[in-house]
Amino acid sequence: MPGVSIRGLTLRYGDLAAVEGLSLEVAPGELVALLGPSGCGKTTTLRLVAGFLTPESGEIWVGDRCLSSSASVVPPEQRRMAMIFQSYALWPHMTVAQNVAYGLRFKSGVGRSDRIRRVSEMLRVVQLAGYEARYPGELSGGQQQRVAVARALVVEPEILLLDEPLSNLDANLREEMRFEIRRLHEAFGITTLYVTHDQAEAMVISDRIAVLERGRVVQTGTGDEVFGRPRTRFVAEFIGRTNLLDGVAAASDTVTVGRLRFRVAGTGVAPGTRVAVSIRPHAIALTEPVDHPAPGVNALRGTVKRASFLGDSVDYEIALADSDIVLRVVTPVGQRRRAGESVGLQIDPAACIMLTDAGA
Amino acid sequence: MRLGARALDRSAVVWVGAALALVVLMALPLGWLVALSVSGEQGATLAHYRAVLGDLALRKAVWNTIVLAFWVGLGSVAVGAPLAWLTARTDVPGRGVIRTLVLASFVTPPFLGAFAWVMLAGPNAGLLNKLWRGATGSEDALLNIFSMPGLIFVVTTYTFPYVYIMIANTLALIASDLEEAAAILGAGRFAVALTVTLPMVLPALVSGFILAVLQALALFGSPAILSLPAGFHTITTQIWTFFHFPPKIEMAAAFSIPLLLATALLLLVQKRILGRRGYAAIGGKGGQRRTIALGRWRWPAFGACLVVMACAIFLPYGILAKAALSRAWAQPLTWDNLTLANFTFTFFEYGATRDAIVNTLELGVATATVGAGLVALLAYITSRRLVLGHRLVGFLALAPVVIPGVVLAVALFIAYTRPPLLLYGTLAILFIAYLTKEMPVGYAQSDATFRGIPPELEDAGRILGAGRLRILRDVTAPLARSGIIAAWCFIFIGVIRELSASIILFTPTTKVMSVVIFDLKEEGQFGAIAVLGLVMLALTFVTVAVVQAALGRDVLGVRE
Amino acid sequence: MTLRLSRTWTRRVALLASLAVGALVSTAFAQDGRLEAAKKEGKVVWYTSLALPSAEKVAKLFEAAYPGVKVEVHRTGSERIIARVMQELKANIKNVDVVHTSDAGHFVFFKAQKLLTKYTPAGVDGFPAGFKDRDGYYYGLRATVNVIAYNTKAIPAAEAPKTWKDLLDPKWKGKMVTAHPGYSGVISTHVLALVNQYGWDYFKQLAQNKLMLVQSAVDPSGVVASGERPVAVDGGEYTFYQIKKKGNPVEIVYPKEGVPLVVSPTAIMSFAPHPNAAKLFTDFTFSREIQQVMADSEGLYTGHPEVKYPTDKPKLSDLKLLTVDPEELEKRGEEIRQRFVEFFGA
Repeated sequence: MPGVSIRGLTLRYGDLAAVEGLSLEVAPGELVALLGPSGCGKTTTLRLVAGFLTPESGEIWVGDRCLSSSASVVPPEQRRMAMIFQSYALWPHMTVAQNVAYGLRFKSGVGRSDRIRRVSEMLRVVQLAGYEARYPGELSGGQQQRVAVARALVVEPEILLLDEPLSNLDANLREEMRFEIRRLHEAFGITTLYVTHDQAEAMVISDRIAVLERGRVVQTGTGDEVFGRPRTRFVAEFIGRTNLLDGVAAASDTVTVGRLRFRVAGTGVAPGTRVAVSIRPHAIALTEPVDHPAPGVNALRGTVKRASFLGDSVDYEIALADSDIVLRVVTPVGQRRRAGESVGLQIDPAACIMLTDAGA
Repeated sequence: MRLGARALDRSAVVWVGAALALVVLMALPLGWLVALSVSGEQGATLAHYRAVLGDLALRKAVWNTIVLAFWVGLGSVAVGAPLAWLTARTDVPGRGVIRTLVLASFVTPPFLGAFAWVMLAGPNAGLLNKLWRGATGSEDALLNIFSMPGLIFVVTTYTFPYVYIMIANTLALIASDLEEAAAILGAGRFAVALTVTLPMVLPALVSGFILAVLQALALFGSPAILSLPAGFHTITTQIWTFFHFPPKIEMAAAFSIPLLLATALLLLVQKRILGRRGYAAIGGKGGQRRTIALGRWRWPAFGACLVVMACAIFLPYGILAKAALSRAWAQPLTWDNLTLANFTFTFFEYGATRDAIVNTLELGVATATVGAGLVALLAYITSRRLVLGHRLVGFLALAPVVIPGVVLAVALFIAYTRPPLLLYGTLAILFIAYLTKEMPVGYAQSDATFRGIPPELEDAGRILGAGRLRILRDVTAPLARSGIIAAWCFIFIGVIRELSASIILFTPTTKVMSVVIFDLKEEGQFGAIAVLGLVMLALTFVTVAVVQAALGRDVLGVRE
Repeated sequence: MTLRLSRTWTRRVALLASLAVGALVSTAFAQDGRLEAAKKEGKVVWYTSLALPSAEKVAKLFEAAYPGVKVEVHRTGSERIIARVMQELKANIKNVDVVHTSDAGHFVFFKAQKLLTKYTPAGVDGFPAGFKDRDGYYYGLRATVNVIAYNTKAIPAAEAPKTWKDLLDPKWKGKMVTAHPGYSGVISTHVLALVNQYGWDYFKQLAQNKLMLVQSAVDPSGVVASGERPVAVDGGEYTFYQIKKKGNPVEIVYPKEGVPLVVSPTAIMSFAPHPNAAKLFTDFTFSREIQQVMADSEGLYTGHPEVKYPTDKPKLSDLKLLTVDPEELEKRGEEIRQRFVEFFGA
């Protein structure tokens, strides 16, 4: 099972760079999610890997084969990959069995009886046993999706590509299918690239997430890493919600934001550098206003501007004292504060991430 | 159903009026046609049908027509489908040029093409045969255009664009990921074309075949030019001869009915095939399309396209230009042979020309204007569901496509050569014929236009107090303008090249250009025919340019 | 080169000549009292099967001679003309004044249907009997004969067909053209004449040679001149004569067994909307000057005893003429068309 190595990929559409010097390593058997907003280049990257597009510069290696470069591109039919499309791309004039069996026709050494056997097995795996003779038009969205999965897996591809396969499903089905896809990945262990704009999906399904912004990979890591230790403002804002405070580094572990001082997770940043501090709303605890806070903890005072009850949590906007900063805070349902109340806020320095990219 | 509130709308008069006009246009002539086919000295009789079905010569004409239509259908698919696939799916060079040339074939009147091919492939004097004989020293001709194969060839050359348009549009509808999915699973480019693209396009292929067959069934000019000299008839030419002295109109009527039934049946079948939902692309976004790289087949494919275009455009237009400028069309184009005499004759000495051009333009403008207005109203009615039975209105607006031009002319002749409406001998009868015949194409365009304007835009204005007719003027008309201009142009083009109905309904004072060209053919005045033909083509292309400007896109309807 | 130059000159001279004739004629007729009435009517509508350039020329000469009276020329084949007239009558359209075709049978029919005005043009007393209707309703305006013609470039004179029977030889298969009795009166007369000579079997055999079918009797001359088919089995002699004079490689054969004579009658319709203009026009066309024009530049024969014919074509009196009785032509018209179609296909 080979891995995928994307090196310095560039592709422009006119003046717009869809993909710019993009590099990414996918280890054998790993499922990497390409996550980002629309226009970030994730689908373009996927189609470059699939061989539908030719890069202007850069290379794509699968194992020890260079499949794409600006000089030549191995055509999609020879790349030993499979792809699941957002629209499923099931052929309406073929039955489910014929759809699933299609790729096997082009594999040498697979006879007719072999094909039938493997198709039946795969349909059982995706829980569509007995649906061989149906036509795609007769199936529900979820069933069509599973046929698309079966069709991709049955050919035992070296690389599996998925292009937002769940976006056409309704919310409940989407959640269910996330786990299903994860289960299948763990069962088959195929090196996979998974394009999505939904971060919850990325976190559930992938081994690692690659966050893309404007044609580049800005951070890769597990869900934990990307969520808990974002490296840029963009990542911090894109993955989950966050409060971003602009300030100046006072010391390697302290940041001055206006008249407030924050203890932050330590990094080797020179004092005087302009930085931003990212604090997740969940990481802020609300207390009674305290005059003498415990050492080592960021303690602030503020007034509740708005409190919204969301059923399983409460969403606050809290205006900080001595500042014009308004923080978003989310707490479990417990003591509900009301608008106008004075509160104390406690934040663990480990939850204050210092970001040095100055870009707004 | 919001019909209740609308029933009190003052504008209802307009809608109902338009619908009634439609019914009268369609029903009256057809009624007379059926009535006359069974009328005899002593009341209703099947004698005419018996005579028609029993006559050997007439049966031969029917057989000839079937043979012609079938092979034209096959040929049009064989040429049109690959051409569409090449321009829509592959990297064949000059795609834009090829599309433009297909458009040019589409608007070229087939009888002009037939006439040009007489000069190219007449077995003795035809240019191509002369070149062949010069090159090989052979006594025999390479091609004899005065034959069934010759007729099939010429008709196919000007019918394949229908198939081309149909296939190109269908190909554009197929989601690109259906083909990409096949590619990534291992199918090479031709395997994709055969296992995925072709089956999905199959209904359109069958539909295109039927469309081509329908065109071939209704043609008059090409058979009259190519088959009569060879000594065989088709149904349309045979119906025309029934109008010679002494006229046998009842026979013409009886002979028309089977043709009408056949076209109706074919259209029904075609609708069924196209209506099958299962073959619409399922799900998701279309997206960019990957063109298939033809590799070393690129230039040979382009060459093949050029050959087709040579047959449809280059050779015929070339020989028409040559004939227009030559004293003797069959002689080589030497300095001595060059002359403008044909132009002087056509425009200044031949009395019929000027009147014919004036008549054609008058009728073209009148039909297009009234027609565009009428179909706009009708399309508006059906897309907004303004009257009870709006579906019937839509059906009737498209129904004339079922009636071959010749049959329509027979019906109109019967209906309007007797009281109360004695329109024969006036331009009015031609106007009615053209309006009826061209309505479907205008309606189809208008229908598409109005479906592209969401009703909410109008509702927003009505809620603010504007009446429906006011909204039409202020909101809908500006938005629909380019589509209506396009409908106008389609109708105009259809009128100026119409022959099969005109040839029966004209009188010496109401000749149109196509009839004059046909007349000149019967006197062998090739130079004058070429001049008039070129004028007709020029008019057509100017109108096409107007359409393209109005619509801002390819008039063939094929989107990039 | 010199030949072509002189042709242009000849044409110029011919044009000057016709203008001169026009001037002569106008002075001759200027005193005609009917002119006033005709001018009030404004025009004469003429349905004619005379070849288009010839018809247009006659019309222009009349308009030059009688300013203020226009001639509306509608030219088509004889059989089409009668179809048109009857169609218009049925629809109650009264459009045409003067009808002139080459199918004498039509006029028998018209006369029987009381559709003609009895009118004798000035100066026809000297015309041969074959040019006059005994009741005075129609008169022969022009005449021609049906001949064989061939393309001299394709066929040497020695091998050319000489008689009607020669045309049956299989060696001419695919090389001949015929016009159609369903369109042309010249041809329907021709067919009847040969049927009376040889019977329908003649045409049955002729059809085996797979002839090309054209419509008008004017057409075969163009077909032969272009070389599309090297031999024409019928056609108006005047058309071949004209095209030969223009320098085309066409030669005419007048078979010794006889050439069918076609006298083309003309008449004024009973419902003519412009009767005075019609009479004026009819007189004009029978005048010696115009009949001479028809003989000179159009190559036609006429009934006028004072007309001189070009020396490069045979006189009518030198030819063995096959004539056809107009009443027989009218009676058998349907049969002629049907059997022709039966043998030739269309």
